[in-house]
Amino acid sequence: MRAFGSQEPQGRRRPADGARPRDDLEAQIGLVARGDGAAFDALYERLAPSVFGVVKGVIRDPAQSEEVTQEVLLEVWRTAAKFAPGRGSVTAWVMTMAHRRAVDRVRSVQKEAERERRVATEEVPYDEVTEAVESSLERERVRRCLNSLTDVQRESLILAYYRGHTYSQVAGLLGVPTGTVKTRMRDALIRMRDCLGVDE
Amino acid sequence: MKLISRRTDAHTLIGAYAMDAITARDRERFERHLAGCEECAREIAGLREATAMLGAATARPLPAGLKERVMTAAEVTRQQPPAEEQAARTGTRAAPRDITGTWFRSLAWPGRLTLAAGTAAAAAVLAIAVVFGVTNGNMRQQLNQAQASSRQIAVVLTAQDAHMMTRAMPNGGTVRIVVSKTRHALVFTAKGLRPLPASQEYELWLTGPAGTRSIGMLPAGSDGVIGPVVVSGVRAGDHLALTDEPARGTARPTTPMMLDVAL
Repeated sequence: MRAFGSQEPQGRRRPADGARPRDDLEAQIGLVARGDGAAFDALYERLAPSVFGVVKGVIRDPAQSEEVTQEVLLEVWRTAAKFAPGRGSVTAWVMTMAHRRAVDRVRSVQKEAERERRVATEEVPYDEVTEAVESSLERERVRRCLNSLTDVQRESLILAYYRGHTYSQVAGLLGVPTGTVKTRMRDALIRMRDCLGVDE
Repeated sequence: MKLISRRTDAHTLIGAYAMDAITARDRERFERHLAGCEECAREIAGLREATAMLGAATARPLPAGLKERVMTAAEVTRQQPPAEEQAARTGTRAAPRDITGTWFRSLAWPGRLTLAAGTAAAAAVLAIAVVFGVTNGNMRQQLNQAQASSRQIAVVLTAQDAHMMTRAMPNGGTVRIVVSKTRHALVFTAKGLRPLPASQEYELWLTGPAGTRSIGMLPAGSDGVIGPVVVSGVRAGDHLALTDEPARGTARPTTPMMLDVAL
């Protein structure tokens, strides 16, 4: 089977860092790694709203979301020297960290079992998410790409990424076998990647 | 073949992994697979560019005061040098250099007390600068040079509910405490405490509904300044107390409290 992504040429990268080139943020993270407060300030301005957005989507509780956001940003400061340019953009590095932390926080607070039960009564929050990502060009693009997915792909992606559910929880919610959900998640992300013009 | 089917099985988790939609156990399993799969690492990098854009689309206005807290915390947080990269990736945090050993006269004592003294003096200077509000150029200079600080101190000082109390000691000297109830911790510093005879030392206690717990002996200060000391395990209703005790320490206070602060 063809592994998507493995045949993409390497040098031809489009930035996932919004309108400004990736190099810009890379230069900044390099300065942050050397203890440059002004660079950290600039990085904060660029990325903190996204970090807070994704963290709050998963955690919901405002105070906890703020706490985790603070932890993530401090972690960026602390480990800036760890950033490896060859492995992706600064935005991806920071957002991966943010999402992981948010999910870990939620899962450490609720026992998995409880969460499985609670999750079964939840509504699929598609409208809410698409509402949240409605304005601005960037958001419009994400929204358009989300709409290009099949229903199961889109719902799997939204429940997993925006709400922090595991694939088995998503399977339960959607009434679809776990194997199907795993596949749909991968397909959904690949389609999003291609639609959003990210190549790696 | 078993090997192949297991590989394929792990590989199907790639999308779920990229979205953290897996349990800790699956994550571990997948990361073992990932370690030997160059192609997967590339695919994940690409998928994460996509999830990053999904995330960026939810950007929202930040709560008031967050930036200030982040910047203050950064100022007192030591950065990892690139050399530590490997250890960090495998999840081994650079442990704060506790010098608990020199603090405790007996190993039987509960290890609650940590002197924030990574690269000792500078960290102490830094926290004292923060706690006592001293920010003269000389101190800043030392701080920058040493780039030292304590994450634990930062966590307390930058907690949203951090609350500072100052108490004058009856025999002279001042004690400052920054306590965060949500962090169940406090930072203690003292200035100008009356020196004790060689056979005696100051001992710090937490006392409250959970009983009286010895925190440890205060270290000798430098230039009359003691600490900063991070005390964790603070519970609701606790008081912080100070007594002078035989230098080996005691399990129960044997002299009247010289300080008793409701936290």
